[in-house]
Amino acid sequence: MTTSAPVIGVVGNDVPRQLLLAVGGHPHRLTGSWEGDIDPVAQQLLGATDVAVTRLLTELREEARAVDGLVVCNDSQAHLRLFYVLRATAPELPLHLLDMPRDDSEPARRFARFQLEALAAFCSGLTGRALDDASLADAAVVEAALGDALRRLRVRRRADPPQCSGAGALDAILDAARLAPSEAVSRIDAAQTSVPAGVTRVHMTGSSHPDAAFYRELERDGRCVVVSEDHDTGDAAWLGPAASGATVAEVIEGLIDAHFERVTTSATATSADRVALTREVAQAAGADVVAAVVRDLDEGPLWDLADQRAALEGRPLISVRVTPGAETESARELVRGLVGPAVPA
Amino acid sequence: MSGARTAGASRLESAAAATAFQKEWFLRLAERARAGEPIALANADAPHELLRALGIPYVVNQWWSSIISAKRAGPASLAAVAAQGMPDDSRQYDVLPLGAQDLGDTDAPWGGLPEPRFAIAERSGDVTHKIFERWGRRPGTETFLLSRTAAVPAPAGWWDRVAHDWEDVFGAARIDLLEGEIRMLAATLEQRVGRALDHGRLAEIMALANEQAEWNRRTRDLLAAARPLPVAVTDIIPAVMVPQWHRGTAWAVEAARRLHDEVARRIDEGHAVHDGERRRLMWIGRGLWSDLDMYRSFQEEFGAVFVWSMYLAIAADGYARYGDDPKRALAARFVGLTDLLYVPPMSSSWYVKEALAHGVDGVVHLVADDTPAPGVITSALEERGIPVLEIRASNADPRATGDVRERIAGFVRERVPAAR
Repeated sequence: MTTSAPVIGVVGNDVPRQLLLAVGGHPHRLTGSWEGDIDPVAQQLLGATDVAVTRLLTELREEARAVDGLVVCNDSQAHLRLFYVLRATAPELPLHLLDMPRDDSEPARRFARFQLEALAAFCSGLTGRALDDASLADAAVVEAALGDALRRLRVRRRADPPQCSGAGALDAILDAARLAPSEAVSRIDAAQTSVPAGVTRVHMTGSSHPDAAFYRELERDGRCVVVSEDHDTGDAAWLGPAASGATVAEVIEGLIDAHFERVTTSATATSADRVALTREVAQAAGADVVAAVVRDLDEGPLWDLADQRAALEGRPLISVRVTPGAETESARELVRGLVGPAVPA
Repeated sequence: MSGARTAGASRLESAAAATAFQKEWFLRLAERARAGEPIALANADAPHELLRALGIPYVVNQWWSSIISAKRAGPASLAAVAAQGMPDDSRQYDVLPLGAQDLGDTDAPWGGLPEPRFAIAERSGDVTHKIFERWGRRPGTETFLLSRTAAVPAPAGWWDRVAHDWEDVFGAARIDLLEGEIRMLAATLEQRVGRALDHGRLAEIMALANEQAEWNRRTRDLLAAARPLPVAVTDIIPAVMVPQWHRGTAWAVEAARRLHDEVARRIDEGHAVHDGERRRLMWIGRGLWSDLDMYRSFQEEFGAVFVWSMYLAIAADGYARYGDDPKRALAARFVGLTDLLYVPPMSSSWYVKEALAHGVDGVVHLVADDTPAPGVITSALEERGIPVLEIRASNADPRATGDVRERIAGFVRERVPAAR
């Protein structure tokens, strides 16, 4: 793939990149940001919505042609609203909704098949290339290489002391979701920083992080390092999985298997599944403490907190709700909680 | 219209009858449940007709929420939610019944809801599935979740097509998924209660529900054309919604017919809710159950009457589904029902149509946190010259609606000129 490939913007975490790569598209994940301007019109159109998505709509309204087409996942109410608003207000933008079901069943698999075929058809329309067996196989190889790089990054973060800061890792993962696959592998492998021994190891849960600003603030004075996370713009981003098969249909079936096997974002997964993921990843990363950062109006994670507190088996959980404009102060408040006297769950 | 105009507001007999029926019905249901009969708690957009066909009594989550609110048990219910470590400022309308389960028989309205055997919901928004996950953890309650697909396609002008042409309005793939899940749910419920689903019975229920919708359509059309408003919106709401929760019964059809006849009679008699009607207002969004007097509180000062709420209008336009296969028609009833209310352009085009038909001078748009793209609805109305006041609040949280009257008064004073 070259950089001249049509850029397909991706909002959300349900898109199997293998399909986009196979038709010659350049997947480019869009996440909004922690801080930045908010267009009052965007806010009025969306209503009470996660501010990261309101900022994303602000960006899209300012630079509607930054992508050749946009795929929005129905994996949160905020993303779905974004799709509805763009459909109503940006008729010039090629736009597609990926609406993956959540509970595995035969009717759900049939619908998922319909969704992935429609996604491929939309992307083919942007690139002018149809899906075929050979290009799917090639895409699987490059996507799998990215998966391998992410596993190496995971090992570095979990080392003691970690060999990559949380902000450095998150920056790299977000970049990888926007780069061509070969560049993405290099970017991930380059994510290496020196972290002193003895700092508080933090597992991050709650809302996704549209950029690394919050991590950077958290790690600023060197007392904390984020060694793992389960939100879907970090280590739980759907980067790397690919399916093999002799036919297009077999590959799509493999991607449907992968979709139903993973634990998706809090807005779509049960609290029980989310909590199990938090516990497993925090344990594997040797986290001293779990931090739950929940952005205002991102409601899903709020409903997981009670279960998380109960399930972390002695590992403290500190939570903070972040309102727009108070991001920095919230990060500092969180640091005080993380490095202060911990209250066991 | 004939006869001398009569002003003032004796309560609509249909509303009083429906309300009285509902309380008696609930107390009987509670008694049966406490005696061991399995009941279900179902979200408003779950396929109730399946439960009715299987003989499983059900309580609608949002209706029970409205009772909890109206009986002023909302704050205590939200406190119970918070005591369990859950947020009390998220999806209050959906979670009130869960909190009310902890109030005890004396504090919960009407002695409380007996523990349901089944809790059934569609996965709407980010949280409904988590609330119902909690229901499923209560002893003796089993939760079933149905998919909630997004509104693709979403045609404007659906109201003339949806009763018969629903395959195109909602898309076959979406209906396939929900139909498949309804079939799976039916099989599981059959096994749990030891009864077989009678397809003929389900077809009868669907036919009765369609008949009910047709009466509601006639009633809505009468009210749209009537000047002045002959019946208070606060009477119309219970007179429509109580039968809605008994959809598919002969009683509900008769209740809808009775409402129609009573409205027609009041129009013939020249009845007016307010004799000095000068402004006609539309209320978009859920009802403000904790302050129903609010709807009448702008009559004396401004001559402003609320002439429209979504409850009759969606009952008129949104529910009828005709078809030979009752399970597929049932899936088509619920696959996009909420989209008709909330997703543009389906929602926005419909509100404009209704506002114009009812001669509305201004709109109060109560925007809950779970209302998608409210700005598109507001813009569509404003573009047609209809002023809109957006109020961002949950109808179930009195803490958030304390200044509603003042805001509406200011809106009417400043932006809604007297049209007559």
